[in-house]
Amino acid sequence: MNCQECHDFIDPYIDNELDVAAAILVQQHLRDCSQCQPLLESRKALRALLNNPRLQFEVPDSLRRKIQSALPAATSSARQRFGGRSVIPWFSVPLALAAAFAVVLGLVFLNQGKILDRSRGNALVEEVVSSHVRSLLATHLLDVPSTDQHTVKPWFDGKLKFSPPVLDFADHGFRLIGGRLDYINGREVAALVYQRNKHIINLFIFPSEAGRTEAAQSFEKDGYNVLHWDRDGFEFWAVSDVNAGDLRAFADLEMKQA
Amino acid sequence: MMNDEHTRARFETLMVPLMNDAYNLARWLMRNQEDAEDMVQESYLKAFRFFASFHEGTNCRAWLLQIVRNTCCTALGARKVRQKEVPIDQENDQVEDPSPLPPASLIKKATVEAVREAIEALPVDFREALVLRELEGLSYKEISEVIGVPMGTVMSRLARARHQLYLILSERKEHDHL
Repeated sequence: MNCQECHDFIDPYIDNELDVAAAILVQQHLRDCSQCQPLLESRKALRALLNNPRLQFEVPDSLRRKIQSALPAATSSARQRFGGRSVIPWFSVPLALAAAFAVVLGLVFLNQGKILDRSRGNALVEEVVSSHVRSLLATHLLDVPSTDQHTVKPWFDGKLKFSPPVLDFADHGFRLIGGRLDYINGREVAALVYQRNKHIINLFIFPSEAGRTEAAQSFEKDGYNVLHWDRDGFEFWAVSDVNAGDLRAFADLEMKQA
Repeated sequence: MMNDEHTRARFETLMVPLMNDAYNLARWLMRNQEDAEDMVQESYLKAFRFFASFHEGTNCRAWLLQIVRNTCCTALGARKVRQKEVPIDQENDQVEDPSPLPPASLIKKATVEAVREAIEALPVDFREALVLRELEGLSYKEISEVIGVPMGTVMSRLARARHQLYLILSERKEHDHL
């Protein structure tokens, strides 16, 4: 890679938008080229300034209330527009039956083991996403608010039958802000809470049934990104509305600790 | 077909929690609170009207922010015509500044106010790309959906936005020292 190419790729590089091969090329060039170092430094300095949560504007409560109270009006006008009838088209019932039949057929032909694996995965994805959403809606995001991993980790002792790994990645833009106890898959789990700009990442940790290190699997549900991986006898589930690239970067940081 | 109750409930679950993101984008694009509030309100009513065309599995944040962005751009465009501003054609200006970058130490101590002013000074095309990436945390693909340009354009606008922002902040710092 030459300097011009490095210049062209520096932005997707710091944004985690390059594939692994390209990212390695940029990384190597930056390591060896003293001329391109200042470019990386400039981007990093800028990123540090832009990470300041005070740059985020919060919606005023008055506007929030105004919009929520305006929505029923929108409902009634929508009803007028469509004549107030809830119409089920004549063809929709047979169509739905045919679709259901097709799904059943499809399932029968699929590998049995895969279905079980996948359905467990999907059920867990649903659980971790709804737990993530609950943690944001209710006032129960944190049981132990602390940016210090050495405060958060001992807090779990005595509350859980296992001791989850607790790490802070503030240097990489993922700040540990605390932890709480949660309940996933019928048991108590550790939830670590990280902040990326104004976005929250919930990292659920519990002892793994498989007990082997596996590459991360990604899921998407209701606009939330979910990543799942195993390491050192623990299952990790990271959920957030940060983009998939950033969540992947977060998971990579965590997995590097293996 | 979804009934009204169900539609309203889905909208509450998917779109209402995104109001901060919507407001943040509108506030950065319009550069003042009053206009931003109008834009967010208009966008939510539009989003509710178009919600029937929202399909499960679509990226909700990109979908909503696209509506907010278009609402803001329409308002900004109308204002531009009224004020007879000369549109700045930044896209054709592809010549990179050949001068060496000022050292990063110059901008490290910039205040939040300075950063805010510098972002607001960027041309709107650059500002929206920067805000969507750095302050809303969107991926290039999502940004390309929201502003309706190819990923390559997103990449080059971001690069130029960051370059300009960096120069504004380092110059400002020099002025502060004088």
